[in-house]
Amino acid sequence: MAEMNRKHLSKTAWASIIGKWVFLGIIIIFTLYPVVYTVLGSLKTNAELTQGGGFFPAAWHFENYYQAFVQADFTKYTINSVIVSTSVTLLAAATCSMAGFILARKNFAGKKVLMALYLSMMFVSLGSVTLYPIYELLRALKLNKTIFALIIALTGGQAANVFLVMGFTKGIPRELDEAAIIDGCSLYGVYSRIILPLSKPILAVVALFSFRNAWNDYITSLIMTISMPKLQTLTVAVVQLKYSVNAAAEWHIMLAGASIAIIPILIVYLFANKQFIAGLTAGAVKG
Amino acid sequence: MKDQKNKSILQRKRAVKRNLQAYTFMLPNLILFTVCSLYPVVWTLKYVFYQYGGYGTGVPRFVGLDNLARVFRDKVYWESVMHTFTYGFGKVLIIIPLAFFLAFLLNGQIRGNGVAQSIVFLPTIMSSAVMGLVFYLLFNAYNGEVNKYLMEAGIVTRPINWLGKDQAMKTLILTAVWGGVGNYMVYFIAGIQQVSEDAIESARIDGAGRLQTIWYIIIPMLGPILKIILMLAITSAFHDITNVMVLTEGGPNNSTMVMSLYGYRYFFPISAAEATVPQYGYGAAVSVISAVIAGAVTLGYLKISKKMDSIY
Repeated sequence: MAEMNRKHLSKTAWASIIGKWVFLGIIIIFTLYPVVYTVLGSLKTNAELTQGGGFFPAAWHFENYYQAFVQADFTKYTINSVIVSTSVTLLAAATCSMAGFILARKNFAGKKVLMALYLSMMFVSLGSVTLYPIYELLRALKLNKTIFALIIALTGGQAANVFLVMGFTKGIPRELDEAAIIDGCSLYGVYSRIILPLSKPILAVVALFSFRNAWNDYITSLIMTISMPKLQTLTVAVVQLKYSVNAAAEWHIMLAGASIAIIPILIVYLFANKQFIAGLTAGAVKG
Repeated sequence: MKDQKNKSILQRKRAVKRNLQAYTFMLPNLILFTVCSLYPVVWTLKYVFYQYGGYGTGVPRFVGLDNLARVFRDKVYWESVMHTFTYGFGKVLIIIPLAFFLAFLLNGQIRGNGVAQSIVFLPTIMSSAVMGLVFYLLFNAYNGEVNKYLMEAGIVTRPINWLGKDQAMKTLILTAVWGGVGNYMVYFIAGIQQVSEDAIESARIDGAGRLQTIWYIIIPMLGPILKIILMLAITSAFHDITNVMVLTEGGPNNSTMVMSLYGYRYFFPISAAEATVPQYGYGAAVSVISAVIAGAVTLGYLKISKKMDSIY
């Protein structure tokens, strides 16, 4: 239909185009409404939110954010979220890259067993209950009162990402490795000078999705900070507001907190939406 | 490695060095994998056979198959399994056709499609916990915006208790569809793009209408990918927990208790308002059985979809 000249579109073609965009319009309104409600609601008073007000705030109450950041301690939680998400992103990308490289390129004792273990763990999913043994193990290692516990647990085993990187590395011609070796590169040289720069696209996918998961995670962050509330991340702190004594009087603070938690990822999405969408299918094909 | 005896010392040294080198590359990930994937699974499998109240409650006591037997007698658990099926199939039944239709509309380089795609995909990048809280406010029976709009529009006269016993599951499914449809739309778009343009074009030339093209050309040719997408949808629906935990907490009265959350509650309190006495052994048994059920559903699905293949 696109190749037809607009002037020559028949009546039925126009009707189908209009029908399409009416339907999409409704879908888009429903999709965006909760997000818009959150952001606009974060600037309303509690009374406007709970007793019915207009779509837009009657007056723009930016002091809600002051309350959230200062009185509800969201500055601290934001810092925690930033530290945790960036650490998880870097750790996931670095460890998957190294493991994916060596699995794609070298044979070593125990490789088959390792790969079978990795693969089998991708199919065993016991869910969130595994957080308990992880927590106990990290407690035994005296890490449970530090932010490292959360960073480690949130990075997780990464089996799927290791296979993703491994598959990508296999697609890089071996001749490049060999040429580098002839030129005097060690294994580390091959990795850092040849493979690492060439596998940037797949590492970007791993990093992007690790960041999203870490930033958005709730349950792991909740459990790993259970004995250290000051290490809580934004999502945990926001949801905890639901259980505060004044919950009914604090909708505006909840929404300000929710906005603080979603706006950063929205900004990332604004710039990287193509990568998110393309990365989803890259990941899905493999695992 | 079998003929090591015949190897010279030099060769052996090289092999050791090669293995050492390889393991230095593997090690960082291997540590994470052991701590976060392997160890917890082994731990859980072990404690299925123990009674254990956690750190500081004394030594775990071996109880054999008692925990597993208790799971089979546990009515609330089997109710939660039923809820998982209701939730899973409700979600898949809405999300797959909707995602497919959206993919069909938004596939292709037509102006506006890219932006619309990005918007439909948007919810998938946001925290399901934070949005669960927002939905909790939106669907609030007395102060929520949903009831406000419905009453202003004259659709309902009294506020609907969206998170009450009768509606909670529907509300939960609705919000899950909101959060997930963009994912499956993107999968479908990737699939549709693999269906050759020629096939679609020749169907058009033969006089097939839009719906006929979808039904006779796109859907059959999408078969293999549709199968994978359906499997992803089913397995992921069985593991959803965060949205349930924040929006309904499994309530009211366990009406939205899904099996993932049911296992969780024996380890940790579901909400800050709840006090639980942890029963790790029993929780482990519940989780293992739940994993087996989810696995059986996946296997059953694969069998059925293979049978479908032979019919085609």
